[in-house]
Amino acid sequence: MRDSERAVSIQNLTKYYGKFQALDNISFEIRRGDFFAFLGPNGAGKTTTINVITGLSNFQQGCVKVFGYNTTSEYIQTRRLVGLCAQEFNFDPFLTIHQLLVYQAGYFGILPQEASRRTDELLDRFQLIDKRNVKHRALSSGMKKRLLICRALIHDPEILILDEPTAGCDLELKFLIWDYLTQLNNEGKTIFLTTHYMEEAERLCKTIGIINHGRIVRIGNKQDVLKDKSLEAVFLEVTGLE
Amino acid sequence: MITNPIGVMALSKREIIRFLSVASQTVFPPLVISLLFMYIFGVAIGERIDFSVAGLSYLGFIVPGLMAMHLISASYENTSSSLFIARWHNHIQEVLLSPLSYFEMVLGLLAGGVARGVVVCAGVYLVSLPLAPAAILHPFLLLYFILTVSVIFACAGMMGALWAEDFGMLGVWNIYVIMPLILLGGVFHPLSLLPKIVRHISQFNPMYYFINGIRYSMTGVSDASIAVCALTALLMAVGFFFFTVYLFRIGYKLRT
Repeated sequence: MRDSERAVSIQNLTKYYGKFQALDNISFEIRRGDFFAFLGPNGAGKTTTINVITGLSNFQQGCVKVFGYNTTSEYIQTRRLVGLCAQEFNFDPFLTIHQLLVYQAGYFGILPQEASRRTDELLDRFQLIDKRNVKHRALSSGMKKRLLICRALIHDPEILILDEPTAGCDLELKFLIWDYLTQLNNEGKTIFLTTHYMEEAERLCKTIGIINHGRIVRIGNKQDVLKDKSLEAVFLEVTGLE
Repeated sequence: MITNPIGVMALSKREIIRFLSVASQTVFPPLVISLLFMYIFGVAIGERIDFSVAGLSYLGFIVPGLMAMHLISASYENTSSSLFIARWHNHIQEVLLSPLSYFEMVLGLLAGGVARGVVVCAGVYLVSLPLAPAAILHPFLLLYFILTVSVIFACAGMMGALWAEDFGMLGVWNIYVIMPLILLGGVFHPLSLLPKIVRHISQFNPMYYFINGIRYSMTGVSDASIAVCALTALLMAVGFFFFTVYLFRIGYKLRT
Protein backbone atom coordinates (compact mmCIF):
# COMPACT_ATOMS: atom_id res chain seq x y z
CA MET A 1 0.00 0.00 0.00
CA ARG A 2 1.31 3.41 -0.94
CA ASP A 3 -0.37 5.21 1.96
CA SER A 4 -0.94 2.81 4.80
CA GLU A 5 -2.69 5.37 7.01
CA ARG A 6 -5.40 6.82 4.82
CA ALA A 7 -7.81 4.10 3.64
CA VAL A 8 -9.90 6.55 1.61
CA SER A 9 -9.04 10.06 0.60
CA ILE A 10 -11.57 12.16 -1.31
CA GLN A 11 -10.71 15.67 -2.44
CA ASN A 12 -13.06 18.16 -4.08
CA LEU A 13 -15.24 15.47 -5.58
CA THR A 14 -18.03 16.68 -7.85
CA LYS A 15 -20.39 14.41 -9.69
CA TYR A 16 -23.26 15.21 -12.03
CA TYR A 17 -25.97 12.96 -13.45
CA GLY A 18 -26.82 15.00 -16.52
CA LYS A 19 -27.64 18.41 -15.07
CA PHE A 20 -28.32 17.09 -11.57
CA GLN A 21 -25.43 17.63 -9.19
CA ALA A 22 -25.21 14.55 -6.98
CA LEU A 23 -21.96 15.46 -5.20
CA ASP A 24 -20.89 19.03 -4.63
CA ASN A 25 -17.17 19.41 -4.06
CA ILE A 26 -16.93 16.97 -1.16
CA SER A 27 -13.69 16.18 0.66
CA PHE A 28 -13.00 13.78 3.50
CA GLU A 29 -10.65 11.06 4.65
CA ILE A 30 -11.10 7.73 6.37
CA ARG A 31 -8.22 6.43 8.48
CA ARG A 32 -7.05 2.86 8.23
CA GLY A 33 -8.85 0.64 10.74
CA ASP A 34 -11.71 3.07 11.14
CA PHE A 35 -15.36 2.08 11.35
CA PHE A 36 -16.96 4.89 9.40
CA ALA A 37 -20.70 5.52 9.19
CA PHE A 38 -21.84 7.53 6.20
CA LEU A 39 -25.32 8.83 6.82
CA GLY A 40 -27.80 10.90 4.90
CA PRO A 41 -31.38 11.03 3.68
CA ASN A 42 -32.40 9.13 0.54
CA GLY A 43 -30.82 10.72 -2.53
CA ALA A 44 -28.24 12.63 -0.48
CA GLY A 45 -25.28 11.09 -2.36
CA LYS A 46 -24.24 8.12 -0.21
CA THR A 47 -24.43 5.44 -2.90
CA THR A 48 -22.96 7.80 -5.49
CA THR A 49 -19.96 8.34 -3.22
CA ILE A 50 -19.58 4.58 -2.81
CA ASN A 51 -19.85 4.05 -6.57
CA VAL A 52 -17.15 6.63 -7.18
CA ILE A 53 -14.81 4.99 -4.65
CA THR A 54 -15.37 1.54 -6.15
CA GLY A 55 -15.12 2.74 -9.76
CA LEU A 56 -18.75 2.07 -10.68
CA SER A 57 -19.35 5.75 -11.40
CA ASN A 58 -17.42 8.31 -13.37
CA PHE A 59 -17.07 11.78 -11.93
CA GLN A 60 -16.39 15.21 -13.34
CA GLN A 61 -13.98 16.73 -10.85
CA GLY A 62 -11.83 15.82 -7.89
CA CYS A 63 -9.50 13.08 -6.79
CA VAL A 64 -10.32 9.81 -5.06
CA LYS A 65 -7.64 7.58 -3.58
CA VAL A 66 -7.72 4.26 -1.77
CA PHE A 67 -4.62 3.64 0.34
CA GLY A 68 -2.83 6.20 -1.80
CA TYR A 69 -3.81 4.71 -5.16
CA ASN A 70 -5.87 6.79 -7.56
CA THR A 71 -9.18 5.04 -8.28
CA THR A 72 -9.16 6.18 -11.92
CA SER A 73 -5.58 5.79 -13.08
CA GLU A 74 -4.64 2.95 -10.69
CA TYR A 75 -7.97 1.16 -10.59
CA ILE A 76 -6.43 -2.31 -10.64
CA GLN A 77 -4.65 -1.67 -7.33
CA THR A 78 -7.65 0.03 -5.69
CA ARG A 79 -10.08 -2.73 -6.66
CA ARG A 80 -7.88 -5.35 -5.01
CA LEU A 81 -8.18 -3.41 -1.75
CA VAL A 82 -11.92 -2.79 -1.76
CA GLY A 83 -14.85 -5.14 -1.15
CA LEU A 84 -18.34 -3.86 -1.90
CA CYS A 85 -21.54 -5.16 -0.41
CA ALA A 86 -24.11 -3.42 -2.60
CA GLN A 87 -27.76 -2.75 -1.82
CA GLU A 88 -29.26 -4.86 -4.57
CA PHE A 89 -29.10 -8.62 -5.08
CA ASN A 90 -27.11 -8.52 -8.30
CA PHE A 91 -26.00 -12.13 -8.67
CA ASP A 92 -25.43 -14.14 -11.81
CA PRO A 93 -28.67 -16.16 -12.03
CA PHE A 94 -27.03 -19.08 -13.84
CA LEU A 95 -24.57 -20.01 -11.08
CA THR A 96 -24.87 -21.78 -7.76
CA ILE A 97 -23.76 -19.68 -4.82
CA HIS A 98 -20.60 -21.75 -4.48
CA GLN A 99 -19.70 -21.25 -8.16
CA LEU A 100 -20.55 -17.59 -7.86
CA LEU A 101 -18.04 -17.03 -5.07
CA VAL A 102 -15.35 -19.23 -6.63
CA TYR A 103 -15.55 -17.28 -9.91
CA GLN A 104 -15.53 -14.00 -8.01
CA ALA A 105 -12.37 -15.08 -6.20
CA GLY A 106 -10.92 -16.10 -9.57
CA TYR A 107 -11.36 -12.58 -10.94
CA PHE A 108 -9.17 -11.45 -8.06
CA GLY A 109 -6.43 -13.84 -9.11
CA ILE A 110 -7.13 -16.51 -6.50
CA LEU A 111 -6.50 -20.07 -7.70
CA PRO A 112 -9.54 -22.41 -7.81
CA GLN A 113 -8.48 -24.62 -4.90
CA GLU A 114 -7.88 -21.68 -2.57
CA ALA A 115 -11.02 -19.98 -3.89
CA SER A 116 -13.08 -23.05 -3.03
CA ARG A 117 -11.58 -23.22 0.47
CA ARG A 118 -12.32 -19.54 1.15
CA THR A 119 -15.81 -19.93 -0.27
CA ASP A 120 -16.65 -22.83 2.05
CA GLU A 121 -15.17 -20.93 5.00
CA LEU A 122 -17.31 -17.85 4.33
CA LEU A 123 -20.45 -19.85 3.56
CA ASP A 124 -19.93 -21.67 6.84
CA ARG A 125 -19.33 -18.42 8.74
CA PHE A 126 -22.55 -16.93 7.36
CA GLN A 127 -24.58 -20.12 7.79
CA LEU A 128 -25.05 -20.74 4.09
CA ILE A 129 -22.95 -23.87 3.71
CA ASP A 130 -25.94 -26.19 3.29
CA LYS A 131 -27.11 -23.99 0.39
CA ARG A 132 -23.80 -24.09 -1.47
CA ASN A 133 -25.24 -25.91 -4.49
CA VAL A 134 -28.39 -23.86 -4.98
CA LYS A 135 -28.84 -20.76 -7.09
CA HIS A 136 -29.42 -17.44 -5.39
CA ARG A 137 -33.08 -17.36 -6.39
CA ALA A 138 -33.75 -20.18 -3.97
CA LEU A 139 -32.45 -18.12 -1.04
CA SER A 140 -34.48 -15.92 1.28
CA SER A 141 -33.68 -12.21 1.28
CA GLY A 142 -31.75 -12.56 4.54
CA MET A 143 -29.63 -15.29 2.99
CA LYS A 144 -29.03 -13.13 -0.07
CA LYS A 145 -27.83 -10.33 2.21
CA ARG A 146 -25.34 -12.73 3.76
CA LEU A 147 -24.27 -13.87 0.29
CA LEU A 148 -23.61 -10.24 -0.68
CA ILE A 149 -21.29 -9.93 2.31
CA CYS A 150 -19.55 -13.22 1.45
CA ARG A 151 -18.96 -11.97 -2.08
CA ALA A 152 -17.52 -8.69 -0.82
CA LEU A 153 -15.14 -10.56 1.50
CA ILE A 154 -14.01 -13.35 -0.83
CA HIS A 155 -10.73 -11.62 -1.76
CA ASP A 156 -10.00 -10.51 1.82
CA PRO A 157 -10.17 -6.77 1.11
CA GLU A 158 -8.52 -4.14 3.29
CA ILE A 159 -11.61 -1.96 3.26
CA LEU A 160 -15.15 -3.25 3.28
CA ILE A 161 -17.86 -0.94 1.96
CA LEU A 162 -21.41 -1.83 2.93
CA ASP A 163 -24.40 -0.02 1.48
CA GLU A 164 -27.27 -0.49 3.95
CA PRO A 165 -26.31 -4.07 4.80
CA THR A 166 -28.98 -4.61 7.43
CA ALA A 167 -31.92 -3.02 5.60
CA GLY A 168 -34.83 -5.45 5.83
CA CYS A 169 -32.98 -7.92 8.05
CA ASP A 170 -34.52 -9.56 11.10
CA LEU A 171 -32.91 -9.05 14.50
CA GLU A 172 -30.98 -12.32 14.47
CA LEU A 173 -29.36 -11.54 11.14
CA LYS A 174 -28.72 -7.95 12.18
CA PHE A 175 -26.81 -9.15 15.25
CA LEU A 176 -24.90 -11.70 13.18
CA ILE A 177 -23.80 -8.99 10.76
CA TRP A 178 -22.96 -6.52 13.55
CA ASP A 179 -20.86 -9.13 15.35
CA TYR A 180 -18.99 -10.04 12.22
CA LEU A 181 -18.34 -6.43 11.23
CA THR A 182 -17.07 -5.63 14.72
CA GLN A 183 -14.80 -8.67 14.59
CA LEU A 184 -13.47 -7.64 11.18
CA ASN A 185 -12.83 -4.12 12.41
CA ASN A 186 -11.05 -5.43 15.49
CA GLU A 187 -8.83 -7.45 13.15
CA GLY A 188 -7.80 -4.18 11.50
CA LYS A 189 -10.14 -3.98 8.50
CA THR A 190 -11.51 -0.58 7.61
CA ILE A 191 -15.30 -0.52 7.41
CA PHE A 192 -17.34 2.05 5.46
CA LEU A 193 -21.01 1.68 6.27
CA THR A 194 -24.11 3.49 5.07
CA THR A 195 -27.29 2.99 6.99
CA HIS A 196 -30.60 4.59 7.85
CA TYR A 197 -30.56 3.00 11.31
CA MET A 198 -29.11 5.54 13.72
CA GLU A 199 -28.69 3.01 16.52
CA GLU A 200 -26.60 0.85 14.18
CA ALA A 201 -24.23 3.71 13.38
CA GLU A 202 -24.10 4.82 17.00
CA ARG A 203 -23.41 1.33 18.26
CA LEU A 204 -20.79 0.23 15.70
CA CYS A 205 -18.94 3.22 14.36
CA LYS A 206 -15.96 5.27 15.50
CA THR A 207 -16.33 8.06 12.94
CA ILE A 208 -19.48 9.55 11.45
CA GLY A 209 -20.05 11.57 8.30
CA ILE A 210 -23.38 13.05 7.28
CA ILE A 211 -24.15 14.08 3.72
CA ASN A 212 -27.11 16.10 2.53
CA HIS A 213 -27.88 17.34 -1.00
CA GLY A 214 -24.42 16.18 -2.12
CA ARG A 215 -22.55 18.13 0.58
CA ILE A 216 -20.81 16.92 3.72
CA VAL A 217 -22.67 18.67 6.53
CA ARG A 218 -20.97 17.05 9.52
CA ILE A 219 -17.97 14.77 9.93
CA GLY A 220 -15.74 13.74 12.81
CA ASN A 221 -15.23 11.10 15.45
CA LYS A 222 -18.36 9.91 17.18
CA GLN A 223 -17.87 11.87 20.40
CA ASP A 224 -17.23 15.14 18.55
CA VAL A 225 -20.24 14.68 16.29
CA LEU A 226 -22.63 13.66 19.05
CA LYS A 227 -21.42 15.81 21.94
CA ASP A 228 -24.27 15.28 24.37
CA LYS A 229 -26.97 14.61 21.82
CA SER A 230 -28.29 11.47 20.27
CA LEU A 231 -27.23 10.70 16.69
CA GLU A 232 -30.84 11.00 15.57
CA ALA A 233 -31.04 14.54 16.99
CA VAL A 234 -27.78 15.53 15.30
CA PHE A 235 -28.90 13.97 12.02
CA LEU A 236 -32.23 15.78 12.04
CA GLU A 237 -30.52 19.04 12.94
CA VAL A 238 -27.84 19.02 10.23
CA THR A 239 -30.09 17.71 7.48
CA GLY A 240 -32.81 20.22 8.26
CA LEU A 241 -35.40 17.47 8.72
CA GLU A 242 -36.25 18.59 12.23
CA MET B 1 -0.74 -6.65 -21.15
CA ILE B 2 -2.18 -9.50 -19.08
CA THR B 3 -1.34 -9.00 -15.42
CA ASN B 4 -4.12 -11.15 -13.98
CA PRO B 5 -4.09 -14.43 -15.96
CA ILE B 6 -6.06 -16.32 -13.29
CA GLY B 7 -8.77 -13.66 -13.48
CA VAL B 8 -8.94 -13.89 -17.27
CA MET B 9 -9.09 -17.69 -17.05
CA ALA B 10 -11.91 -17.52 -14.48
CA LEU B 11 -13.97 -15.15 -16.63
CA SER B 12 -13.28 -17.18 -19.79
CA LYS B 13 -14.26 -20.39 -18.04
CA ARG B 14 -17.50 -18.87 -16.79
CA GLU B 15 -18.37 -17.68 -20.31
CA ILE B 16 -17.56 -21.03 -21.92
CA ILE B 17 -19.39 -23.11 -19.33
CA ARG B 18 -22.39 -20.83 -19.68
CA PHE B 19 -23.01 -21.76 -23.31
CA LEU B 20 -21.95 -25.40 -22.94
CA SER B 21 -24.43 -25.87 -20.09
CA VAL B 22 -27.26 -24.95 -22.46
CA ALA B 23 -25.87 -26.67 -25.57
CA SER B 24 -29.37 -27.66 -26.67
CA GLN B 25 -30.01 -23.94 -27.26
CA THR B 26 -26.56 -22.71 -28.23
CA VAL B 27 -24.76 -25.49 -30.10
CA PHE B 28 -27.20 -28.02 -31.57
CA PRO B 29 -29.80 -25.76 -33.31
CA PRO B 30 -27.29 -24.42 -35.90
CA LEU B 31 -26.17 -27.98 -36.61
CA VAL B 32 -29.74 -29.15 -37.24
CA ILE B 33 -30.47 -26.12 -39.43
CA SER B 34 -27.25 -26.63 -41.40
CA LEU B 35 -28.06 -30.26 -41.98
CA LEU B 36 -31.50 -29.29 -43.33
CA PHE B 37 -29.98 -26.59 -45.57
CA MET B 38 -27.45 -29.10 -46.88
CA TYR B 39 -30.11 -31.68 -47.58
CA ILE B 40 -32.68 -29.36 -49.15
CA PHE B 41 -30.42 -26.98 -51.07
CA GLY B 42 -27.38 -29.18 -51.53
CA VAL B 43 -28.86 -32.61 -52.18
CA ALA B 44 -32.50 -32.21 -53.21
CA ILE B 45 -32.15 -29.02 -55.29
CA GLY B 46 -28.39 -28.69 -55.76
CA GLU B 47 -28.00 -31.88 -57.79
CA ARG B 48 -30.27 -30.38 -60.45
CA ILE B 49 -28.21 -27.15 -60.72
CA ASP B 50 -25.38 -26.78 -63.20
CA PHE B 51 -22.78 -25.22 -60.93
CA SER B 52 -19.64 -25.82 -62.97
CA VAL B 53 -19.05 -22.03 -62.98
CA ALA B 54 -17.87 -22.23 -59.36
CA GLY B 55 -15.64 -25.25 -59.85
CA LEU B 56 -17.42 -27.14 -57.05
CA SER B 57 -20.58 -29.16 -56.49
CA TYR B 58 -23.34 -26.97 -55.09
CA LEU B 59 -23.21 -28.87 -51.80
CA GLY B 60 -19.43 -28.44 -51.66
CA PHE B 61 -19.97 -24.72 -52.27
CA ILE B 62 -22.51 -24.09 -49.53
CA VAL B 63 -20.83 -26.09 -46.72
CA PRO B 64 -18.08 -23.44 -46.12
CA GLY B 65 -20.75 -20.74 -46.46
CA LEU B 66 -22.86 -22.38 -43.77
CA MET B 67 -19.80 -22.76 -41.56
CA ALA B 68 -19.08 -19.03 -41.93
CA MET B 69 -22.71 -18.09 -41.35
CA HIS B 70 -23.00 -20.02 -38.10
CA LEU B 71 -19.52 -18.99 -36.94
CA ILE B 72 -20.57 -15.36 -37.24
CA SER B 73 -24.00 -15.69 -35.65
CA ALA B 74 -22.82 -17.97 -32.80
CA SER B 75 -19.96 -15.63 -31.87
CA TYR B 76 -22.23 -12.60 -31.98
CA GLU B 77 -25.12 -14.16 -30.08
CA ASN B 78 -22.92 -15.50 -27.29
CA THR B 79 -21.31 -12.26 -26.22
CA SER B 80 -24.34 -10.10 -26.93
CA SER B 81 -26.67 -12.20 -24.78
CA SER B 82 -24.14 -12.83 -22.01
CA LEU B 83 -23.12 -9.20 -21.60
CA PHE B 84 -26.64 -7.85 -22.03
CA ILE B 85 -28.04 -10.21 -19.38
CA ALA B 86 -25.15 -9.24 -17.09
CA ARG B 87 -26.10 -5.58 -17.56
CA TRP B 88 -29.80 -6.36 -17.17
CA HIS B 89 -29.31 -8.19 -13.85
CA ASN B 90 -26.46 -5.83 -12.96
CA HIS B 91 -24.15 -8.73 -12.13
CA ILE B 92 -21.69 -7.13 -14.55
CA GLN B 93 -20.61 -5.39 -11.33
CA GLU B 94 -18.90 -8.65 -10.32
CA VAL B 95 -16.51 -8.08 -13.20
CA LEU B 96 -16.36 -4.28 -12.98
CA LEU B 97 -15.36 -4.40 -9.30
CA SER B 98 -12.56 -6.87 -9.94
CA PRO B 99 -8.90 -6.01 -10.55
CA LEU B 100 -9.13 -7.07 -14.20
CA SER B 101 -7.94 -4.42 -16.63
CA TYR B 102 -10.43 -3.40 -19.29
CA PHE B 103 -8.31 -5.28 -21.83
CA GLU B 104 -8.58 -8.41 -19.66
CA MET B 105 -12.33 -8.00 -19.16
CA VAL B 106 -12.90 -7.90 -22.92
CA LEU B 107 -10.54 -10.83 -23.42
CA GLY B 108 -12.41 -12.93 -20.86
CA LEU B 109 -15.84 -12.14 -22.27
CA LEU B 110 -14.54 -12.68 -25.79
CA ALA B 111 -13.44 -16.23 -24.96
CA GLY B 112 -17.04 -17.44 -24.73
CA GLY B 113 -17.95 -15.98 -28.12
CA VAL B 114 -14.88 -17.35 -29.84
CA ALA B 115 -15.26 -20.78 -28.24
CA ARG B 116 -18.93 -21.03 -29.20
CA GLY B 117 -18.15 -19.90 -32.75
CA VAL B 118 -15.39 -22.51 -33.08
CA VAL B 119 -17.52 -25.32 -31.62
CA VAL B 120 -20.48 -24.53 -33.88
CA CYS B 121 -18.29 -24.08 -36.98
CA ALA B 122 -16.53 -27.40 -36.35
CA GLY B 123 -19.92 -29.03 -35.71
CA VAL B 124 -21.31 -27.80 -39.05
CA TYR B 125 -18.27 -29.28 -40.80
CA LEU B 126 -18.70 -32.60 -39.01
CA VAL B 127 -22.41 -32.92 -39.84
CA SER B 128 -21.61 -32.13 -43.48
CA LEU B 129 -19.22 -35.09 -43.80
CA PRO B 130 -21.83 -37.81 -44.41
CA LEU B 131 -23.38 -35.71 -47.23
CA ALA B 132 -20.26 -34.07 -48.68
CA PRO B 133 -17.08 -35.75 -47.45
CA ALA B 134 -14.26 -33.32 -48.13
CA ALA B 135 -10.76 -32.74 -46.77
CA ILE B 136 -9.74 -29.27 -45.59
CA LEU B 137 -7.25 -27.94 -48.12
CA HIS B 138 -5.57 -25.27 -45.95
CA PRO B 139 -6.22 -26.09 -42.26
CA PHE B 140 -4.01 -23.34 -40.79
CA LEU B 141 -5.57 -20.72 -43.03
CA LEU B 142 -8.99 -21.99 -41.96
CA LEU B 143 -7.99 -21.66 -38.31
CA TYR B 144 -6.81 -18.10 -39.00
CA PHE B 145 -10.14 -17.14 -40.56
CA ILE B 146 -12.20 -18.88 -37.89
CA LEU B 147 -10.34 -17.06 -35.11
CA THR B 148 -10.29 -13.61 -36.70
CA VAL B 149 -13.92 -13.75 -37.81
CA SER B 150 -15.11 -15.01 -34.42
CA VAL B 151 -13.16 -12.21 -32.67
CA ILE B 152 -14.81 -9.63 -34.93
CA PHE B 153 -18.32 -10.82 -34.18
CA ALA B 154 -17.76 -11.60 -30.52
CA CYS B 155 -16.64 -7.96 -30.18
CA ALA B 156 -19.59 -6.81 -32.28
CA GLY B 157 -21.83 -8.75 -29.89
CA MET B 158 -20.38 -6.87 -26.93
CA MET B 159 -20.89 -3.55 -28.70
CA GLY B 160 -24.49 -4.53 -29.42
CA ALA B 161 -25.02 -5.56 -25.80
CA LEU B 162 -23.68 -2.23 -24.54
CA TRP B 163 -25.76 -0.25 -27.00
CA ALA B 164 -29.05 -2.10 -26.41
CA GLU B 165 -31.48 -0.80 -23.80
CA ASP B 166 -33.88 -3.74 -24.00
CA PHE B 167 -34.20 -7.21 -25.52
CA GLY B 168 -35.83 -5.77 -28.67
CA MET B 169 -32.83 -3.57 -29.38
CA LEU B 170 -30.49 -6.48 -28.69
CA GLY B 171 -31.77 -8.41 -31.72
CA VAL B 172 -31.81 -5.46 -34.13
CA TRP B 173 -28.23 -5.72 -35.37
CA ASN B 174 -28.37 -9.46 -35.82
CA ILE B 175 -31.72 -9.54 -37.61
CA TYR B 176 -31.52 -6.41 -39.74
CA VAL B 177 -27.81 -6.02 -40.43
CA ILE B 178 -25.68 -9.09 -39.81
CA MET B 179 -27.93 -11.83 -41.23
CA PRO B 180 -28.83 -9.94 -44.46
CA LEU B 181 -25.16 -9.11 -45.04
CA ILE B 182 -24.19 -12.76 -44.48
CA LEU B 183 -26.83 -14.04 -46.90
CA LEU B 184 -25.86 -11.42 -49.50
CA GLY B 185 -22.19 -12.17 -48.91
CA GLY B 186 -22.21 -15.42 -50.84
CA VAL B 187 -23.28 -18.26 -48.55
CA PHE B 188 -25.48 -19.76 -51.25
CA HIS B 189 -24.25 -18.12 -54.45
CA PRO B 190 -20.99 -17.07 -56.15
CA LEU B 191 -20.66 -13.40 -57.02
CA SER B 192 -20.31 -14.26 -60.70
CA LEU B 193 -24.01 -15.24 -60.83
CA LEU B 194 -25.11 -11.75 -59.82
CA PRO B 195 -25.75 -8.74 -62.08
CA LYS B 196 -22.70 -6.51 -62.53
CA ILE B 197 -23.96 -3.65 -60.39
CA VAL B 198 -24.84 -5.95 -57.45
CA ARG B 199 -21.43 -7.58 -57.81
CA HIS B 200 -19.73 -4.21 -57.32
CA ILE B 201 -21.89 -3.36 -54.30
CA SER B 202 -21.17 -6.76 -52.75
CA GLN B 203 -17.48 -5.96 -52.66
CA PHE B 204 -18.21 -3.45 -49.90
CA ASN B 205 -19.80 -6.19 -47.82
CA PRO B 206 -17.18 -7.50 -45.35
CA MET B 207 -19.04 -10.83 -45.03
CA TYR B 208 -18.13 -11.51 -48.65
CA TYR B 209 -14.43 -11.60 -47.68
CA PHE B 210 -14.99 -13.71 -44.57
CA ILE B 211 -17.09 -16.28 -46.40
CA ASN B 212 -14.64 -16.44 -49.29
CA GLY B 213 -11.71 -16.74 -46.91
CA ILE B 214 -13.29 -19.76 -45.25
CA ARG B 215 -14.36 -21.23 -48.58
CA TYR B 216 -10.86 -20.88 -49.99
CA SER B 217 -9.32 -22.47 -46.88
CA MET B 218 -11.67 -25.44 -47.28
CA THR B 219 -11.76 -25.89 -51.04
CA GLY B 220 -9.16 -23.68 -52.72
CA VAL B 221 -11.97 -21.84 -54.54
CA SER B 222 -12.71 -18.16 -53.94
CA ASP B 223 -14.33 -15.21 -55.70
CA ALA B 224 -12.02 -12.74 -53.96
CA SER B 225 -8.29 -12.34 -53.51
CA ILE B 226 -7.33 -14.40 -50.46
CA ALA B 227 -4.81 -11.75 -49.36
CA VAL B 228 -7.57 -9.13 -49.32
CA CYS B 229 -9.81 -11.53 -47.35
CA ALA B 230 -7.07 -12.22 -44.78
CA LEU B 231 -6.16 -8.55 -44.39
CA THR B 232 -9.80 -7.46 -44.05
CA ALA B 233 -10.37 -10.04 -41.32
CA LEU B 234 -7.20 -9.10 -39.43
CA LEU B 235 -7.77 -5.34 -39.55
CA MET B 236 -11.38 -5.65 -38.49
CA ALA B 237 -10.54 -8.07 -35.66
CA VAL B 238 -7.89 -5.73 -34.24
CA GLY B 239 -10.07 -2.65 -34.75
CA PHE B 240 -13.19 -4.17 -33.19
CA PHE B 241 -11.24 -5.58 -30.26
CA PHE B 242 -9.61 -2.30 -29.30
CA PHE B 243 -12.80 -0.34 -29.85
CA THR B 244 -14.57 -2.69 -27.41
CA VAL B 245 -11.75 -2.20 -24.89
CA TYR B 246 -12.19 1.56 -25.36
CA LEU B 247 -15.94 1.27 -24.62
CA PHE B 248 -15.13 -0.58 -21.39
CA ARG B 249 -12.48 1.99 -20.51
CA ILE B 250 -14.88 4.93 -20.81
CA GLY B 251 -17.58 2.85 -19.11
CA TYR B 252 -20.07 3.23 -21.96
CA LYS B 253 -23.40 2.22 -20.37
CA LEU B 254 -21.42 0.30 -17.75
CA ARG B 255 -20.68 3.10 -15.32
CA THR B 256 -23.12 5.80 -14.29
